[in-house]
This record gives sequence, C-alpha cells and structure tokens, in this order.
Amino acid sequence: MSPSRLRPAVAAALGGALLFALAACGGGEPASEPDDKTIVLYSGRNETLVKPLLDKFSQQTGIAVQARYGTTAQMAAQLAEEGDRSPAEVFLAQDAGALGAVNKKGMFAALPAEATAKVPAIYRAEDGNWVGVTARSRVLVYNPALVKAADLPASVFDLTGPAWKGKVAVAPTNGSFQAFVTAVRVQHGEQKAKEFFTALKANDAQIRANNIEIVTDVDAGKVPAGLVNHYYLGEIAKERGVTPEQLNAKLHFFTPGDSGAMVNVSGVGVLKRSATDPDARALVDYLLGAEAQTYFAEETFEYPVVAGAPAPAYVPALADLKAPAIDLNDLETLEASIALIKESGLTP
Amino acid sequence: MTALDVTAAGKAYGPVAALAGAHLSVPEGALVAVLGPSGCGKTTLLRCVAGLERLDAGEIRVAGALVAGPRVHLPAHRRRVALVPQEGALFPHLSVADNVGYGLDRAARRSGRVDEVLALVGLADHHRRMPHQLSGGQQQRVALARALAPRPPLILLDEPFSALDAGLRAELRQDVRAALRADGATAVLVTHDQGEALSLADHVVVMRGGTVVQDGAPADVYAAPADPWVARFVGDAMLLAGTVTGGRARTAAGEAPVVGAGAAGDPGAVTVLVRPEQLRLTPAGDTAPGGITGRVLRHDFHGHDSVTVVGLDDGTRVLSRRLNDGARDEPGTAVTLRIEGPVRAWAADAAR
Amino acid sequence: MALLPLVYLLVRTAEAGAGRIAEELFTGRVAVLTARTVALAAVVTAACVVLGVGTAFLVGRTDLPGRRLFAVLGALPLAVPTYIAAFTWVSTLDGFTGFWASAVVLSLCSYPYVYLPVVAALDRADAAQEDVARSLGHNPWRTFRSVTLPQLRPAVAGGALLVALYVLSDFGAVALLRTDTFTAAIFTAFDLGFDRTGALVLATVLVALTTVLLVGEGATRRRDARYAAVGAGARRPHTRLRLGPARLPAALLLAVVAALALGVPALNLARRLAAGVSRPGSLPEIAAAAGNSLTVSAAGAALTLLLALPIGLLVARAPGPLAAGAEGLSYLSHALPGVVIGLSLVFFGVNVAYPLYQTRWLLTLAYAVLFLPLAVAAVSAAVAQAPPVLEDVARSLGRSPARVLATVTVPLTVPGIAAGAALVFLTCMKELPATLLLRPTGMDTLATELWTHTGVAAYAAAAPYAALLVALSAIPTWFLAARTGALASQEGTR
Repeated sequence: MSPSRLRPAVAAALGGALLFALAACGGGEPASEPDDKTIVLYSGRNETLVKPLLDKFSQQTGIAVQARYGTTAQMAAQLAEEGDRSPAEVFLAQDAGALGAVNKKGMFAALPAEATAKVPAIYRAEDGNWVGVTARSRVLVYNPALVKAADLPASVFDLTGPAWKGKVAVAPTNGSFQAFVTAVRVQHGEQKAKEFFTALKANDAQIRANNIEIVTDVDAGKVPAGLVNHYYLGEIAKERGVTPEQLNAKLHFFTPGDSGAMVNVSGVGVLKRSATDPDARALVDYLLGAEAQTYFAEETFEYPVVAGAPAPAYVPALADLKAPAIDLNDLETLEASIALIKESGLTP
Repeated sequence: MTALDVTAAGKAYGPVAALAGAHLSVPEGALVAVLGPSGCGKTTLLRCVAGLERLDAGEIRVAGALVAGPRVHLPAHRRRVALVPQEGALFPHLSVADNVGYGLDRAARRSGRVDEVLALVGLADHHRRMPHQLSGGQQQRVALARALAPRPPLILLDEPFSALDAGLRAELRQDVRAALRADGATAVLVTHDQGEALSLADHVVVMRGGTVVQDGAPADVYAAPADPWVARFVGDAMLLAGTVTGGRARTAAGEAPVVGAGAAGDPGAVTVLVRPEQLRLTPAGDTAPGGITGRVLRHDFHGHDSVTVVGLDDGTRVLSRRLNDGARDEPGTAVTLRIEGPVRAWAADAAR
Repeated sequence: MALLPLVYLLVRTAEAGAGRIAEELFTGRVAVLTARTVALAAVVTAACVVLGVGTAFLVGRTDLPGRRLFAVLGALPLAVPTYIAAFTWVSTLDGFTGFWASAVVLSLCSYPYVYLPVVAALDRADAAQEDVARSLGHNPWRTFRSVTLPQLRPAVAGGALLVALYVLSDFGAVALLRTDTFTAAIFTAFDLGFDRTGALVLATVLVALTTVLLVGEGATRRRDARYAAVGAGARRPHTRLRLGPARLPAALLLAVVAALALGVPALNLARRLAAGVSRPGSLPEIAAAAGNSLTVSAAGAALTLLLALPIGLLVARAPGPLAAGAEGLSYLSHALPGVVIGLSLVFFGVNVAYPLYQTRWLLTLAYAVLFLPLAVAAVSAAVAQAPPVLEDVARSLGRSPARVLATVTVPLTVPGIAAGAALVFLTCMKELPATLLLRPTGMDTLATELWTHTGVAAYAAAAPYAALLVALSAIPTWFLAARTGALASQEGTR
C-alpha cells in the first residue's frame, strides 16, 4: 500500500470524526407540534401484537405512529432517565406497575374524562392519568396427565399443601406475579401474605423467568402446574397453529373472589408534553374503541376492558371472575410487594 | 560551516547520566565516527541529535540552526537529520522504491532522485522488490539510499554494519563511504568497533561515561591516544610500567624515546604504551645493544599477520605482531626483543 | 468516552444516598450473588483457557486431521449469541438449568476469545527456541510447557480477561438458564418495581469486581513485560507434533466441542422453524433488519477503532500510568451490563448531546463504549508487533507524527486492527439491551427482531433472524480465524 493511496482513507476517517463533532455541537429541541399528524409511541408491549393495530389506526386517521419497542420495565427506566426531554408522547405498557412508576414521576398528563369513563374504575388510575386497555386474569395452568381435574384447588392458598410440593411453577420477577402478591396482601393482610409466599417457596415452587416458559414446560409435562396470566396459552397455541383447546396444558380459574383470580391490566398514558395533542388523544380513543378491543380479544386472547366488545373464546367472562378489588396504581403498595417477594426467598 | 555542533550535551535517565557534557563538531562533507563501548552514551547522543530524545542540558545545532537547547526542542521530523539504524529497518509494507522515496515529496520522487541514490548504492535494478526479498547487505544499502534521498544536511548511521557477517561488512563499509562521498553527504557513524571507526571515518570521536575523551584523525587517535584507556580501546596495547629519564623510557621490554605529553616533566614512575607492531623479535644471540631476552610462549597465526607471545625473564608477557612472512616461532625458542620508534608515556597514577 | 457510564453510575448512586446504598449492598443476597458470579467467572474462564489453548495447540501444532476445518470451527462459536445458545440448549435438554448449565453454555460460546489470540501467538512464537529445547532432550510436551507456554502467557491472559469480563456482563444465558448472577440481579432489579437506583447501586459492585480482575491481569502482564521480539528474516515453520494413534480421538474431541457449541443451536433452530406456523416478516423487512444490523455494527466497529487507536498506541508505545489508566477505564465499562451502558448513554444523550439522542450516532457510541477493550487489545497487540525503530526512521526523514502514523504505523498494524474490527463488528451484531434503549425509533436489527418474536413465543418467526444473525456473524469470524494465522499456518503444510 503506498502512502498516497492511504491518504483518502485517513481523510475520510478524520472527516467522519469531524462530522461527528459538528453533529454533537448542534442544538435543538425535539420537534413536537401539537397537530402534526404524527406521534411517538413507547411500547412495552410486543411489536408483533401491537404493530398490526397501529397500522390500522394510521390508515384510518392519517396519523403516523413512530413506535419504539422495548421491555416495559426498561422503558419505564428509560422514560425516568429522559425526564422532560423525552421524545415519547404516549406510553403503552404491559402492566399497571410500570404505568404507576412513570405516573409517580409526574410525567403523565391527565386523560380526558370521556376516555377514562369507558373503563371500570378498578382498571384505571385513580387520578385519571392512565387507563387500562386490556385485562388479564391470573390462572393456574396445568397438565391433565399430571394433575387430576378433581384435585384442582379452589383457592390459590391450597398450593402450599403437601400435594403440590415441587409441582407449581412461578415467575416471581414478572410484573403479573407482583400484582398477584399485592392482591394477596390487600385481601388478607401483610402477615398472612408473608406466610403464604414463604410457604410457597418452602413447598419447592419451581422458579421460571417468565410466563411463556411456565406454559411451555407445563404443556411439555416438565412441571405439572404453574401460576400465569390466562392469555399465554393462546399465544403458544397460535405459534403451533392449533386452538388453545388442542394443547396439553389447560387453564384452571380459581374460585371467583379468590386472590388467585385477580385481574391485572395493560394500559396507556399520555406524556405531559403531549397533554393537548389531539393525535395522542386519538390513539388513546382508538385503543379503547371497538376495533382495537375486538382485536385484543381475538389476537392476543385478552379481556377487553370496554363494555360491548366480545370476550375471548375459551375463557369465562370477565364479569364472572369477580376479581378482588385492589389499586393497581399504588406504587407504595408495589414496593411493599417487592420487599415481600424478596423476603420470601422466591427471588435470589 | 559545520554540519553539526553539539555543545555540553547532558541527558540523564533517572539517576543515570547517559550524557555528561558531550561536545561534538562535524564539518560539512565529513564522515565522523563516534566510537565507544556499550553504555558510553553514544547512542543517546545520536538519538538526541536526531530529536528522538530531549536534551537535559547543552545545545545542538544542525547546519548552524539551533535544534535543541534550553527550552528549544525541534521535533525529529523538522530537523532534517536522516537515520540509518541497525538492521536497516526498512518499511516492510513498502517496495524498495517506495522506501527510498519515503522522505521525498511528490515532485522529488518523480525527478529521478530515487534512481540516482539506488544507483549510488549499487541496487539500480531493485525498485520493485519488497524488503523481505533482499539480503541483509542489500537491506542496509536501501536504508542508506533512503537516508540519502532527501539530501539531508546530516545522516546518522547507528551501528549499521553490526548485523552483517565479516566479509560482507568490509565490502559494504567501503561502498557506504563511497556513496556518502559521491553524494557529498555529511554523516555521523556510531560504532563500538574500533576497526570500523578507524578505517572508515575522516575523524574519530572517542566517548566514555557520557563525555568525549578524544577527538582527532584516525591515525592520531591510534598513535597518540589521550590516555591509557583510549590506547587500549582503539587497538591492541601493552601498558608497561617504567621510568623516564632524559626523554627515554625504560621498561622491562627495553627502552625507547618518549614523545608527546609525558616526555617532559619530572623523571619518575610512568606507564608506557607499546603497540605490538613496535616490538621486533630477532633470534637469540643478537648481541646488538638494547636487546632484551625472552622465550616464546605462543604463536597465533591470523593469515595476513601473526602475533607472538613472549615471556620475559621477570615474568612479564609481551606481544609482538608482524606481517606474515611464513616463519613460525616455536614455543620455547629463546628470542631477543627491541622496541622500535617512539612511545607514549603517562605518569603512573594516571594509568587505569 | 469510557468514563460516561462511570460518571452516570456515580451521579445516580450518589442520588441514592448512603443509607440506601448500604441497604442495597450490605446484604446476604449481595454476598451470595458476588460469590456465585465470581465462581461462574472463574469456572468459565478456566474452561475457556483449557478449551481455547487445547484447540489452538491441536490446530496449530499437530498433524490433526481436518485442521483447516477445525481452525474455523474453533472461532465460529463467537457468532452464536449466548442468548440463542442458552435458549436452544434449555429447550433441547430438560432441566438443563443452573450454575453448571450456565458454565457449559458460556464456556462453549466464549472459548474463542482465548483460542483466537493463542492460535495467533502460537504462530508467532519463535520456532528456534522450541528447536533448541528439543535438541536439549526435552520431549514435545515438556517443550510446550517450558518454552512455548510462557510465550503464550500474554495471549492467554488477555483472552481470559475478556472471557471473565464477558461472564460478568452476560445476561442472556444466565437468565434463560436460571443462574442468578450480579448482572441477572441488576436486570431483575429493573423488572422488580422498575427500580433504577437499586439496579445501578448493584452495578457499582460489578465495577469493583472488574477493578480487581484488571489489577490481577495487570500483575501477570508486568511479569511478562517483554513481548516476543520481531526477528529479522523469514520465520521458519514450526515442527508439527505427530499425534500417532491419538489423531482420531483428538479430532473426535474437537468435533464434539464443535457439535455442542454449534450443532445444538443449529439443529434446534431448524426444528423450531419446522414446528411453528408463525412466519417472519416479508423479505424486505428481513433485509432491512439485516441491513441495519450490518450498518450500525460497521459504524460501531469503525468508531470503536477510531477511539481505540490512540489508547492502543499509548499502551504499546508509551506504557505508563496514563496508558494503564486509559486501558483500565475502557475495560471497566466492558463488564457492565448493556442495560446500564444503555441508560448511561440515555442520560448523556438527553442531557449533553440531545441532537444525537435516538440516532444511530448515539447507538454507535454505545457500541464503542461497550466494546472498546476488544479493539484496544487488538490495536495494542498489533502495534507492539510493529518495531518502533521504523517510526524513528520515518520521523528522521522529515515526516510529521501524523504522517508517520498514517504511512507507517497504521499500514503495518492493519491486519491486527482489522481483526479487532471484525471482533467488534460481530459483537455489535449480537448486542441487544443497549440497542433496544438507544436505537432510533422504528429501526429494527436482527437482534431486536429476534427479541420481538421470541417475546410472543413465535419461535418459527424468530428462527430465520437467528440463523441470519449467526450466518452474518460467521463471515467476520471466518476472517478472524484466517487472519490470526489459524488458517495461514496451514498453507505451508499442504
């Protein structure tokens, strides 16, 4: 290689560095006009599920959605880090806890009452800063080859008995499990909740990273049963090209009113900077509209939270579950639940 | 005008002084050898001149311009002092022509200067070769051509022949000198090889302990060393104890007239330098005055000359060198010896 | 740049207050996690040294059948992200979880970090020294131990350091294999109540662990202060050890390692592709993701090298406190989980360089911060191989330091630097957590697509992305294997 042939390469490298430096010196705030027919969405829900819906929304309204996907927890951390300068206008989250965490930072704008009014009070924030979009029930997923139907527990508290030793899988780091802990605490008090979860751990509960793993393992007969949200069975059936009824794993709903039958939500909030943006409002309205609610019931097997939408096919109606009433938004409560999970020894 | 002036150069590495007030002056067009044992500071001096090290004290001028001094340090690439290191150090990724043209600007590269210097070192047909395709001697020639090409006011040669075998070395030395001369270049050669320094250079500078101890034409340094250490360093030397009276030195190996410093002064104990070629042997029985008798201990044959080791009656061992005449001195043979020509002498306490 | 994550950690942990820090750190759980993480790093590092040096020796110094093939297979596991490997293992083998499962998967995925530098060092090692040892009556094994191995020590130590740092920062494998390490705990802390501060306080412990590792590695390096000198003249080929009756068993052993490291993921992915009904996006979508992966990884590799060049030069040419400090800093951020680096750059992007936020530039910068040590190690090793006297000569011929760098140092070190670039490139391809946090809104890469589809159990849709990710990573990996002499040393004996 001759020196003369190398020179352009060096010049290009230096030029690149210079450009980089210049770009770093430039300034400017994020462009966010109130009515620019475009919104930035942070989605903690999976792209595969959300994107088809957003495409329909854009088609109908002409509002372009720039969606950013990540895990709900990491997006909550990212939003907290970004603070006032976040480019996000709308946050769609997998569970109520994350919405509560962002709300506690004071980052959400109040939603219009006509939007929140569509949703039952237990599925939205007390201050009206976020609203549930779908509901999911806690269930026991079990493998009939390993658990007789007659032996299925009426209450989740039965799972600490010797008959279930080493037979129940849980995902303690999952948001849905944390909400479940909160339900137990609210219904039965700190002392009883602590006893229950410590006993669950002592009964050799099988730890899994997430709900999908639990359902997969139950279906494969690797573990007899597990505590999950109801819709994962549908998700796995979809991947295998079968109906949920054709899978080995079956769902068991606890007695209505039992802590094990609690219901959690996925939800949406609008960031303060877009408080008056009609585009953001339009997206919230769309998610609570008939089309989106039906989509969730049919495609993700979740319960619609707005009256009138059809329920998913293979589960009991939401109204029949009589879920215990707990404030999903209460972060102080969430922290207490997490402390309890740690104490019980279910997480490292 | 002088091409290089080094005045009172000082350089220390931590507590170790590598240069302690060294002086050096190189006239334009000259080839000066800096000679010294390893650790004498000659390489440090060279690196300071090249600008690869920073001087602690003193100053350096190249072609009259101050390049290093108090608060002055011209970086290496602005000094125009070209380096020829040991083993050549050709750029392995460049061809011979690209190596030689490295220090030239585009116009100079096209002017035929590369061909010119390659011809000068006898490698006119090797342009497109890569360094690994050359022999060690050829690599050195290219390294010299590379240094010559930009016509620097000064070229520094750092033990450039040390990695070559003896036959190649002698030939290359003369070719290097011829090429330097032909191009009118000024060069400083750093070496620990006294034969190389004496045979190649116009001027020899002997260094010890970070300073210059002697500086002169090769013949003068050899014949009139500044002290017994230099005497020994620049060639084989016998340093004999003796006395001086009336301008004549008396030693166990005979007597001879004293010249230079030490000839005058008070009579008394001295150290006398006798070179082996000054000692003449004749067969025993030579009764001319001044002869000393001894016995042959060993005869070392070197081809063009030979050295005979003789034991004197008082136990002193001396050497005698003569051009090879085919004769052999068998060990045990009795011989008579005499010192020829004048000798050097130093007061005994100056001897080291 | 490498300081960014540390500054961020400092700012955020300072916010937490002393009480909170003490509450998070001085618990039995932290002690258990520390012990387990250190044990895992130690076991994996030891296994990688054995696998890496063993493979390098068999490939580089014996008459092993199929050496060329094994030379490439030895490097190829680098192309398999640990989260893919772990996922395929756990779904192939029931109950393949826990500490030892993690140790196996991490070792199989990261032994090339040792294999590659060692096979290169074996190639460079002075053949004459080995010949002398043999002539003095040492058998081949003793010669290897007493003469060759000491020459390999810097390469082994450097590779082992990268492995250990990798284990500290890995999340994908340990999460899937249910081994709770520090990094797993940091991710869990984010999930558990969206607790940023607690997670970051835990991350400071990782920084402390890394510091200990670096000091340890620094001590080994001082003992081996002199790297092998570059001799003049042509290198002589090394004598190959005849394995005799051990030839086939040795080849079989390497084949088993390759099957475990590459075959298990490949077969499992194929099976899932056949079993599932979900399908990946359209071909243009896949192509766009692949294109994004390639461009951001290439930009990441370029910027990383640009930053690594001065540090690498400093380390090789002017070793001292400054160089050691700069190098150490670059390693510190390497041991931090991607999510911490990602958040620290969110912090930097939002507060300092807002125009860059959620652009490819900031993502590129994150890659540079994460993978700087890979490039620094490659550059300093390459520069250490280029004799400094060449630079002296170039300067004496009137070339400015910048010109000398461009015309002598860089061209001479290009092969080594290119190897570093390839390594950074393929590591960028696999990176997920920081990519998720920092990518421009709407940009998908192969890794994020893979994450998206596995997130809804759409394994058949995920498989092509996984396969493409591994296949594209295999190209720079093959280049690495060829470059470092694993293949080159074969040419002579054919």
